[in-house]
Amino acid sequence: MEGLLTAWAAVSLTFFALRVVAGDPVASLLSQGLASPEQVESLRRSLGLDAPLLIQYLRFLRGFLRGDLGVSLYTGRPVSVVIAEQLPATIVLALTGLSLAIFFGLCLGVTAAWKEHSAAGRLAARVAGLATALPVAFTGVISLLLYRYILQFFPSISIIASRRLLLPATVLGFASAGAIARVVQAGLVESMRSPYMLAARARGIGRGVRLLWHALRPALPPATSLSALEAAYLFAGTVVTETVFSRPGLGRLLVNSILQGDYPIAQGVVALAALFYTASHIIADILAFLIDPRLRRTA
Amino acid sequence: MKSRIQSLTLITLVFSFLFLSIAACSTGPEEPSTLIYGLTLAPTGIDPHLNASSELGIPLHSVYDTLVFLNPDTGKFVPGLADNWTISPDGLTYTFTLRRDVIFHDGTPFNAQAVLANLDRIRDPDNHSQKAVFMLGPLEEVEIIDDYTVAIHLSEPYAPLLDSLSDVYLGMASPTAFETWGPAEYQFHQVGTGPYRLVEYIPNDRLTLDRNPDYAWAPSIYLQPQADIENIIFRFYEDSSTRALALESGEIDIIGEVPPHDATRLSVDADFTLYPVSIPGQPMQFFFNTQLPPTDDAIVRRALIHAVDRSYAVNTVFGVYSVVAHSPFSASAFNLESQDLILDYDPTRAEALLEATGWTAEDGDGIRSKNNIPLELRIVSPPWGSNSEIAQLIRADWETIGARVILEVAPGFGPLKQAQTQGEYHAIGINFFGTDPDLLRSFFSSNGLYNWTGFADPEQDQLLLQAAQTSLDPEERLRLYQQFVSDVQEEALLLPIRFYVNLIVANKRVEGLHFSAQGWYPILIDLRITH
Repeated sequence: MEGLLTAWAAVSLTFFALRVVAGDPVASLLSQGLASPEQVESLRRSLGLDAPLLIQYLRFLRGFLRGDLGVSLYTGRPVSVVIAEQLPATIVLALTGLSLAIFFGLCLGVTAAWKEHSAAGRLAARVAGLATALPVAFTGVISLLLYRYILQFFPSISIIASRRLLLPATVLGFASAGAIARVVQAGLVESMRSPYMLAARARGIGRGVRLLWHALRPALPPATSLSALEAAYLFAGTVVTETVFSRPGLGRLLVNSILQGDYPIAQGVVALAALFYTASHIIADILAFLIDPRLRRTA
Repeated sequence: MKSRIQSLTLITLVFSFLFLSIAACSTGPEEPSTLIYGLTLAPTGIDPHLNASSELGIPLHSVYDTLVFLNPDTGKFVPGLADNWTISPDGLTYTFTLRRDVIFHDGTPFNAQAVLANLDRIRDPDNHSQKAVFMLGPLEEVEIIDDYTVAIHLSEPYAPLLDSLSDVYLGMASPTAFETWGPAEYQFHQVGTGPYRLVEYIPNDRLTLDRNPDYAWAPSIYLQPQADIENIIFRFYEDSSTRALALESGEIDIIGEVPPHDATRLSVDADFTLYPVSIPGQPMQFFFNTQLPPTDDAIVRRALIHAVDRSYAVNTVFGVYSVVAHSPFSASAFNLESQDLILDYDPTRAEALLEATGWTAEDGDGIRSKNNIPLELRIVSPPWGSNSEIAQLIRADWETIGARVILEVAPGFGPLKQAQTQGEYHAIGINFFGTDPDLLRSFFSSNGLYNWTGFADPEQDQLLLQAAQTSLDPEERLRLYQQFVSDVQEEALLLPIRFYVNLIVANKRVEGLHFSAQGWYPILIDLRITH
């Protein structure tokens, strides 16, 4: 329910924002300079774009509530079909990216906590900081350059380091890994200082076991919730990654439909993103509940 | 707890290996006669009858044949699917005799009924054609005279008709195919008569063409009778900074719109060849708004043109591959680059002109004013095609002669049109492509859809209309447009920057690359791969 409300708000905002920012879609449709003013008017009428904005909005809302997202202004294809075509590519990229983000995040976080006072730990913390700070557009192009550079010396590596999925997923995962690493590191450091860790130490349990066995568990719930939320932010990252790496997907679909003034498609993608965003919040709550026994007990 | 970490690690590993193995499969050794062609834009729709993107013609020009073709070297029309044609003395009827040996990729025979079905499809208002229908001009009726003779009747003479019929947007499609699939889905199942067949199109991902082994009706602009390369895969590279990388890593063999600095670097690389191709049409140009002071004054407009160092701007932004443009249109058959009234870079003259019309800088703030109104200029430009970079250089030049300049980027075509309606600009930068100068009518006649200059002169309207209707005498038509160009220069309506040069880079293993008269479309049938 809350998800639907969020979706409604997002889509309504998109509806009006697009009309303010992107201007007249018929102008974009007929941007070849060949139509006469009368022909432009007749196209506008037949696409239903001559009606007052409020009427257009109500029509759109009625369709939206029935699950009908309308058709593309450019091709007349149903928005749902166009989105369904691009969805799998984005899901694969985002899931791979998320797996890598969790993997990198754990590695960096644990290293930073474990080797807290040595160069390796400080390096891990720096890398995590960089990962959060660097925009995907930048790391994307850099990774391509590195990729080409490495390729010069090891031509066969192209088979291993697939440019079409692994490289963009790494870039995407790296961006989200920073935040996860920070949370893991903070959690580890905090629990290492707690009295039960002292007790464990007194019993002669090694530092590594203490860290990975005793301290990691309490550090995981916040990291898990964060990962689920990062999944939602990953979507924003795919917009850039898909363009830089020439991958199909919803991100590019959204950008192109906004630039070309294909409103129904842009609205459809935004609605889906809003639903996804809400869903990942819910999933984050459920995961936290499953991992942390304290939450279960109070419930 | 341990098991959870282990399983997490395991899942990550399994995922990585899964994708690695997928990756390994997808980048296996290529077939010897497969070519990968990089496109620079993923069009929203690729049905040439209904959509308008210039990118769609790059693959589809070789899927379709047209009734006539335009020879890029001579600017003359040559037979295509029509063996020959006649134009009635009043310019109202074009009669085409069709080839009898042509069949579509799906086996449907090509004949007069097919031509009628194609033109009907384009003109059907429910199909919302974005370009093709307007290219047909004042078409009134299509008449089938016999199975292989078809007449096109116009309500008034329209000289661009043959040019339109030579473009991919009026390519002949199989009526069986477009009736089966309907207007929304036909783009995925396009069937033409050309040297290549459309096999598969996955939006934003790829488009695949296969050689048509039955092709036996190549027009004279094709050098080979049949295609050499077995299949051609097109992929989309919208981010310009990644195009050179894709070439160098061997991911693609050819790509256009390579940024100038990458093109320069690759042009001296032993593995690549650079093909700079001029695209006919309008140059990138800034239209002065004649309806808003101070650009309503022709002398101010002249001063503003004199003030801009265009060679420097073009060199800085586009490198050595482009030269400064001087006219509003250029194409092989319509070279309108008149040298008579060029307003050269001359800032001293620019300042003198401003002084003479009362724009003086006496109050010491460095900004000229007249009757206490400061010389303030607003430039609106779209974000594509380096328009905004050029606008920044223009601003610097105009500031030097004492103007205050405001730059505004209109994020798309809609906002550009909106700026025109609102009229709050002094110059708008944009370019349009086309092989026929009738394009100018939309921009320079009083009621033109894109009359960004706001200039309205009945004599000029008449001149453009007359030029559009001079169907039978190309020489006379050229003369009329030359007359028009000198009028535009006289009035200083435009600040032309440069004609578009598409920087195409190809791997050295690709040979035989040349382009159609429209400039954008490669003649795929003539491509060869050497080993």
